[in-house]
Amino acid sequence: MIRHLVIAAGFICCLAAGGEAQTGATPSGIEVAGGAGLFFGGGLGTRDANLRANSVTPTPYRLFTTTTSFGAAPLVEARAAIGLSRRFAVEGRFGFNRPELRTSVSSDAEQGNPITAVERIDHYMVDASVLLFLDRLRWRDLIPFAAAGGGYVRQLHEGHTLVEDGHSYHVGGGVRRRLFVDDRRFVKSAGVRGDARAYLLSSGATVDTKTRARVVVSGALFVGF
Amino acid sequence: MSVTPLRGVILVAAIVGSILSPRPAAAYLNLSVDLRGQTIRLRWNTTPIRWFASDRGVPGVSASDFQMAAARAFATWQAVPTASLAFQFVGFTSAPPFEDDDLSVLGFENRPELERVLGATDFVIDIVTGEIVESDIFFNSAFQWSVAPGGNAAAFDLQSVATHEIGHLLGLGHSALGETELRGEGGRRVLASGAVMFPISFGRGNTADRELQPDDIAGISDLYPASTFRARTGVLRGRVLRNGQPVFGAQVIAFNPATGQSIAGFALGASGDFQIAGLTPGVHVLRVEPLDDADVESFFDRSVDANFAVTFYERLFVAPAGGVGEHVDISVRPK
Repeated sequence: MIRHLVIAAGFICCLAAGGEAQTGATPSGIEVAGGAGLFFGGGLGTRDANLRANSVTPTPYRLFTTTTSFGAAPLVEARAAIGLSRRFAVEGRFGFNRPELRTSVSSDAEQGNPITAVERIDHYMVDASVLLFLDRLRWRDLIPFAAAGGGYVRQLHEGHTLVEDGHSYHVGGGVRRRLFVDDRRFVKSAGVRGDARAYLLSSGATVDTKTRARVVVSGALFVGF
Repeated sequence: MSVTPLRGVILVAAIVGSILSPRPAAAYLNLSVDLRGQTIRLRWNTTPIRWFASDRGVPGVSASDFQMAAARAFATWQAVPTASLAFQFVGFTSAPPFEDDDLSVLGFENRPELERVLGATDFVIDIVTGEIVESDIFFNSAFQWSVAPGGNAAAFDLQSVATHEIGHLLGLGHSALGETELRGEGGRRVLASGAVMFPISFGRGNTADRELQPDDIAGISDLYPASTFRARTGVLRGRVLRNGQPVFGAQVIAFNPATGQSIAGFALGASGDFQIAGLTPGVHVLRVEPLDDADVESFFDRSVDANFAVTFYERLFVAPAGGVGEHVDISVRPK
């Protein structure tokens, strides 16, 4: 866990070293955003169903093999950010998606039918990020930013029979563009943003103890107050 | 309470049917009796379970060796953290096993006519409550036995077979979690096993059955649950069907990819019902196979439906942490 945080912090610092004075890129007050995107799935591991072979030395006898993965799934998310300086902001995010948990079964010792058994998981993510705005790299009205942080993952199995939870760490970035700015109004700004993040997920629904990487891309509309 | 002896004999790889009634098995096959129209699981209601060792040894195994090997086997069951069990060795006795003497005796008997039976367990039960009040185990001295720590390639491992028989003494039946092949000279050879309570021994020199497997642990924990067992494990209930009709005697295996553990049960209800308890919370792959890896008489007193192919359930089953998961209906493929 500490190693992941160090990596995330290092990423932010490297980018910060190249930053310079901002020109209204960061949220000036509170900014909220809502959007949608895609949670990319990925493998969760392979495990054999083994019996004990009839051998004096312990030897596994494979009854069948399983390979488990998360499928890709659309997601919805909501964010709230507060500007800390001309360069930094902090942001909280809530995301929800419903990926399929798939276990492919093969190589049955008695010619059982290969099959992919599935269930649907309600996948909630709550995380916090530090955002670094890179106004120096602005291209036209698009302002890039980098983000890193950590959070909590909660997975609710189908039928609401079991809850599993874990932690997440992420790094990523994106671009944003303000479409409207007026400091005299209650709604002071509005715009669009796109994000791409790599998440490291520990625990949760898995078949081993490895930390797995997942990618999330999303787009959102934001409004500043 | 009056105790009326009712004897039934359980033999390794042989008859259990005389006292066994078909019913949904919980994570295992529990021995049961029908009393006054009710099916009652056989179990001890009083602990510690007191046992005696026969004072007769056999070549290569003294009475003291025998007692120590049996004590290690009892200790293996007592060490299951999710079960509440206790045993007490009382002493040596000249009484042979299988006598109605209110003593639970383990010892050797020379039974050469039982040419494929390594050991057997019998019970005296209270026919009012189903409580086991006495249980004896004999080990067939027609075979060569060993108590060597690493086993003896020319002899059967006493501790391994004792661990199996003590499972019966506690009320467990046979598990079907294993694979066999027919031998040319008759009988079956075990290819693999996933439970100490599989009815056929691994063979000479093999000591693997000294160690309980998840299927054994689930079975004994379901029968003698420790205080936290029910709250920390989940139960699977469902039916096995073929063309909408119940399949009797199908074996259901629940495999947890996260732990690598397999626990099995049988569809023994009138509607093809089965129940498997003691599942670690999480997702499970369900596999149904016909009971064709041992003599059916080792399990039940009636024939089973084995006319279907190995079938996997198309959904993942999620075992909750305490309680029963969603009901599943598994439709098997015809052969």
